[in-house]
Amino acid sequence: MTRAADDRSEAPVLDVRRMSKVYGEGETAVHALREVDLLVRRGEYVAVVGQSGSGKSTLLNILGCLDAPTSGRYLLDGLDVADLDERQQSILRNRQIGFIFQSFNLIPRTTTFANVELPMVYAGVSRRGRRERTRAALDLVGLADRADHRPNQLSGGQQQRVAVARALVTRPALLLADEPTGNLDSASTEDVLDLFDGLHATGRTIVLITHEERVAARADRTVVVTDGRLAEQAGARP
Amino acid sequence: MSSVEILRFAVRALVANRLRSLLTMLGIVIGIAAVILLTALGNGAAKFIQSQITGLGANSITVIARAASGTAGASAGASSRPLTAADAAALADPQGAPDVAYVAPVVQTSATVASGPNSETDTVIGSTPDYFPGANQVVASGRGYDQADLTAARPVAVLGRTVADDMFGVGSVPLGRTVLLNGSPFQVIGILQAKGQGGPGANPDTNVLAPLTAVQSTFTGFGNLNQIVVGARTTDSQNAAESEVYSIIDRRHGITNPNNRDYQLISSAQIAQVLDQTLSTFSLLLAGIAGISLLVGGIGITNIMLVSVTERTREIGIRKALGATPSAILAQFLVESVILSALAGAIGVAIGIGGTLIPLPGGFRAVVVPGAVIAAVVVSIAIGVFFGGYPARRAARLRPIEALRRE
Repeated sequence: MTRAADDRSEAPVLDVRRMSKVYGEGETAVHALREVDLLVRRGEYVAVVGQSGSGKSTLLNILGCLDAPTSGRYLLDGLDVADLDERQQSILRNRQIGFIFQSFNLIPRTTTFANVELPMVYAGVSRRGRRERTRAALDLVGLADRADHRPNQLSGGQQQRVAVARALVTRPALLLADEPTGNLDSASTEDVLDLFDGLHATGRTIVLITHEERVAARADRTVVVTDGRLAEQAGARP
Repeated sequence: MSSVEILRFAVRALVANRLRSLLTMLGIVIGIAAVILLTALGNGAAKFIQSQITGLGANSITVIARAASGTAGASAGASSRPLTAADAAALADPQGAPDVAYVAPVVQTSATVASGPNSETDTVIGSTPDYFPGANQVVASGRGYDQADLTAARPVAVLGRTVADDMFGVGSVPLGRTVLLNGSPFQVIGILQAKGQGGPGANPDTNVLAPLTAVQSTFTGFGNLNQIVVGARTTDSQNAAESEVYSIIDRRHGITNPNNRDYQLISSAQIAQVLDQTLSTFSLLLAGIAGISLLVGGIGITNIMLVSVTERTREIGIRKALGATPSAILAQFLVESVILSALAGAIGVAIGIGGTLIPLPGGFRAVVVPGAVIAAVVVSIAIGVFFGGYPARRAARLRPIEALRRE
């Protein structure tokens, strides 16, 4: 592992350099990302916007170590992801990244408590430590009284809050949210976005993908993806 | 990730799909139960037949006269000779036959047995007191004839159970009464224990046993013998005794080619050996059939685990996104299939052993083969590892991005 030698707090959480992603070969090749650069510092709240097919999901999958770039470098918390094998990438996802998906992706037929506890099971946290941290995370998202409910007994907004609790428990360097409010009504959207604001206020680094303006407006910074290219944009979209 | 957690995940997944888990287990349960039951049946049959054979007379060898084999005249030197009292005497010589414990010359004849209005034709066997252990005949009431009866040629008789029933009524104990054998009066001094029809030969319950001398003087005359029953000293020395018998009678009858003997030996060991071979072939066949059903059960496990992996592809993707390593996924699915098959094996063992307790017609019982039980348990766990391994590896190799995209 090649961790940068300089002070951790100074290292950017995300450091993407000239990264490309090409699907297919030859004439049928699709350039999903073209030599993209992106720097996200600790504590930043970045929104990535773009139309569907613009490459923003590809970007998020690569940032989340779920997919590999075709070329370019990607440093996560100072660590070059390309150096890691599948097992090490699993461990990296477990320790450094908290995922929040559009479709919640809770494990069905499994209680809220067990869902939130799951990443810590893979991290090897003791039973007692898991219990405490799961309770704390559920308290934070306001679902302490739903610990024994199963996903199908919760509303969409509640399920997404469980997913946020699950993303938080391993204290990751980065929260990656892929259209977290895409399946939610406006009240639940507000709940989840308020939660993100709160997390941001406590110094969490958040990268959020959305196509909704009002969601992107909450972030410090907005990055627009168009045809596989990134452009910085300050403030609201034109 | 600890093994306790892997176990918890696996149990949770199996319980979530209760019906499917139970149906998958059914194949293994039937296979294992069949292996245990069928081997137990084979084993029980072998034990039953063995007990019937030892009923013929433990450690005893019967010498019977027969015509020399081969075409007549082809072996001029081997003309058929009957068994004689001199042959019996030679066998009793401790110098030539050190492994022979006793020799009982036997004459037998068919005779009309009568008492009052009752009359039937039975086999009358004349021999020495050694015939009782030699033919495994046990006197149930009264006494057997002894050396004194033999020496004095006393007309005394020991009746088989059926003979006593027919002459004096079912269950009677007619000690001291008189039966007429071809018209000659014999005094009943004992009744044999009922043996039932078992093994080759006539039903021993319809025999009448009397001293050799009395039978010879009354019916057959002092000529040739029908059989000579030879007792070996111990079970272990039976083979040695057999070869001593062969060499003595071969010499006395002038036989050079063992294929042209004018007599033959029948021993319980010989019969047991033949039946044993037949039975072990039979048992192997049964075990083979049971093994095939196990194989089918194992393929059932593969099938269901593959379905499970496909159905839970998205769940696998989520787990991988949350940091499950390939080995953690592999372990979870492998443990699931091993739990399925081991549990099924345990239930199969219970059903198989329980099944052997069911009484069977024909008087024999299934006897569980401990080796088969151990093999069944080991095999069922191995099935879990082997047949669950492929689906588990497939699950572990799924790429998280593709697994997550699956709906």
